[in-house]
Amino acid sequence: MTDSKAAMPSWLPVATLTQSEISFGEHTFLDVEIAGDAPRHVLYSYYWSIEGGGLGDKTGTPKDQTRFGFIPPCPGTFIITVEAHGSDGVVRNTSAWVKVNAVDEAPLARPESIADDADEVISVDDVSMIFNIASEQFNSLKEYFIALARHELKFKEFRALNHVSFSVKRGEAFGLVGTNGSGKSTMLKIIAGVLEASEGTCRVTGTIAPLIELGAGFDMELTAKENIYLNGSLLGYRKEFIDEHFDDIVEFAELQSFMDMPLKNYSSGMVARIAFAIATITEPDILIVDETLSVGDYLFQQKCERRIQELVQSGNVTVLLVSHSIELVERICNRVCWIEKGQMRMVGPTDEICEEYKSLGK
Amino acid sequence: MDSQTTTTDLAAKDAWYPASKRDWFILKQLVTKDFKLKYRRSALGVVWSVLNPLLMMLVMAAVFGTFMRYNDPSIGNYAVYLILGNTAFQLMNDATSQGMGSIIGASSLLKKVKINRVVFPVEKALFAGVNYLFSLVAIALVMLVEQVPLGLTALLLPFGLLMLLVFSVGLSMLLSALSVFFRDVMHLWGVVLIAWTYATPLFYPYSILPAWMQTFEKFNPMYLYVTYIRDVVLYQQVPSVAMHAACAACALVALGIGYLVFRKNEHKFILYI
Repeated sequence: MTDSKAAMPSWLPVATLTQSEISFGEHTFLDVEIAGDAPRHVLYSYYWSIEGGGLGDKTGTPKDQTRFGFIPPCPGTFIITVEAHGSDGVVRNTSAWVKVNAVDEAPLARPESIADDADEVISVDDVSMIFNIASEQFNSLKEYFIALARHELKFKEFRALNHVSFSVKRGEAFGLVGTNGSGKSTMLKIIAGVLEASEGTCRVTGTIAPLIELGAGFDMELTAKENIYLNGSLLGYRKEFIDEHFDDIVEFAELQSFMDMPLKNYSSGMVARIAFAIATITEPDILIVDETLSVGDYLFQQKCERRIQELVQSGNVTVLLVSHSIELVERICNRVCWIEKGQMRMVGPTDEICEEYKSLGK
Repeated sequence: MDSQTTTTDLAAKDAWYPASKRDWFILKQLVTKDFKLKYRRSALGVVWSVLNPLLMMLVMAAVFGTFMRYNDPSIGNYAVYLILGNTAFQLMNDATSQGMGSIIGASSLLKKVKINRVVFPVEKALFAGVNYLFSLVAIALVMLVEQVPLGLTALLLPFGLLMLLVFSVGLSMLLSALSVFFRDVMHLWGVVLIAWTYATPLFYPYSILPAWMQTFEKFNPMYLYVTYIRDVVLYQQVPSVAMHAACAACALVALGIGYLVFRKNEHKFILYI
């Protein structure tokens, strides 16, 4: 009796792929079904790995989920295995192969030279930012009034930005580089519209999507799902739009199985994934990418870069990249502005500026 | 099929609300968030919103009903008198103490995203309003148990509540702006609220106040709102036109000052948060 059962299992999971051969950049779904006398409950978990080993990932605890999305991190042949955990205590596997063809992509996906007549989406005109660093910071009324009474309300003037001018056209990928404290973030805040320039003007046309970092538009106690809506609302998305693209966001962030978990159980990288997924699910006029991205893991960073390049190539989206990683800037941007100690050192094509910038340390 | 067609209908630009509608969705999301957070992992959950005012009322009724024994017939039913005053005051209390820190609390967001900053203090006041709606259940329960009849005058309650809410929104905006520049406000306000609680006839009758305090109450907006609510719910009286006007005037003045102070200073917030 036991022998025949071993030879002919009473049930088997069967995996079917929506597509078994895809091009890199596409994704496929794996549906799993039970053939035979299915046990009362079956939970599934899945893992994938690249042929020859090396790359791989898996979902956590088995769940009541029969469809799994697979987004390949690179071209190659992958095996996807689904483990079916039956309520009868039996665990059975089924596997499927996916072939991911490489796509002939231009190695450097920087935008082509932008037409001269493209409209300007960001124009920074002679912007200066002056902070009155109170020689003391007043955090209480008492301190303030004492200083006021003694006529000690002196301020030191600090120029975080000094007569900076540049403009960015639609469809450009524009990089801001500079060492720490050079005024990059101040410039970014002015462009994002959260800080008013002391002198000069900054005109921005269109919608801006920033990557909202951990602790800002996210609440650790809420689940990922609740956070997606919260974050989406803060970016100004319509509710119907989020409803509609919810699955896309989850899929891009690769967090299907974690949607109902409070965010505090997430790693910062996972939060960055959600932030990026929400900001890029549609085509904003301007996408602001800053260091928030750098917390994601290597594979996800690659995926983000690809998405950024897609957006840039669509020709409608302008990307503003602020990063310490000069390599990233070189890969993505077509023009760069180098700010140093509040002064604009250079602005121009990536290669020229990056060359100069890199020679700074030598 | 349906989702297919809508996907194509949604052009990229339809992803965003126009600026005017954006704030409503944010407000809704933030209120939902606060609501979920308030009751997350509590066994009774939202029941606490009803239970809390009830228990508070019971404690106060036990304490003041036994020790003080106010013999003022004008109070009417003491339990209802208490709960109406307490819950109304609690609405303002919650709105201002939560709203005060709302801008500082949202600092990391305000540094990155251009949002209408005023939504944060307004949201806290609205959230306090939502909580008040639950305490209406508690009020109804007490009136049922005490067999206090509800008259047609109760239809005026929404007006009183709305004015109280507008008043709270105004204060919340004012305090949130002030606390950005002077954090002392946050400590000070706690004391002010305590003083205000005792200065308002919440658990004692107006009649026991000395003459100078009775004059002072004319300038106490909270006394105004509490009295209005008691008049329409407990005493089945229609407040005078002057009373209506005073309620509205306090609300609008608070809103006006709060809004002006907030708008005048909001561009400087980022330098202090």
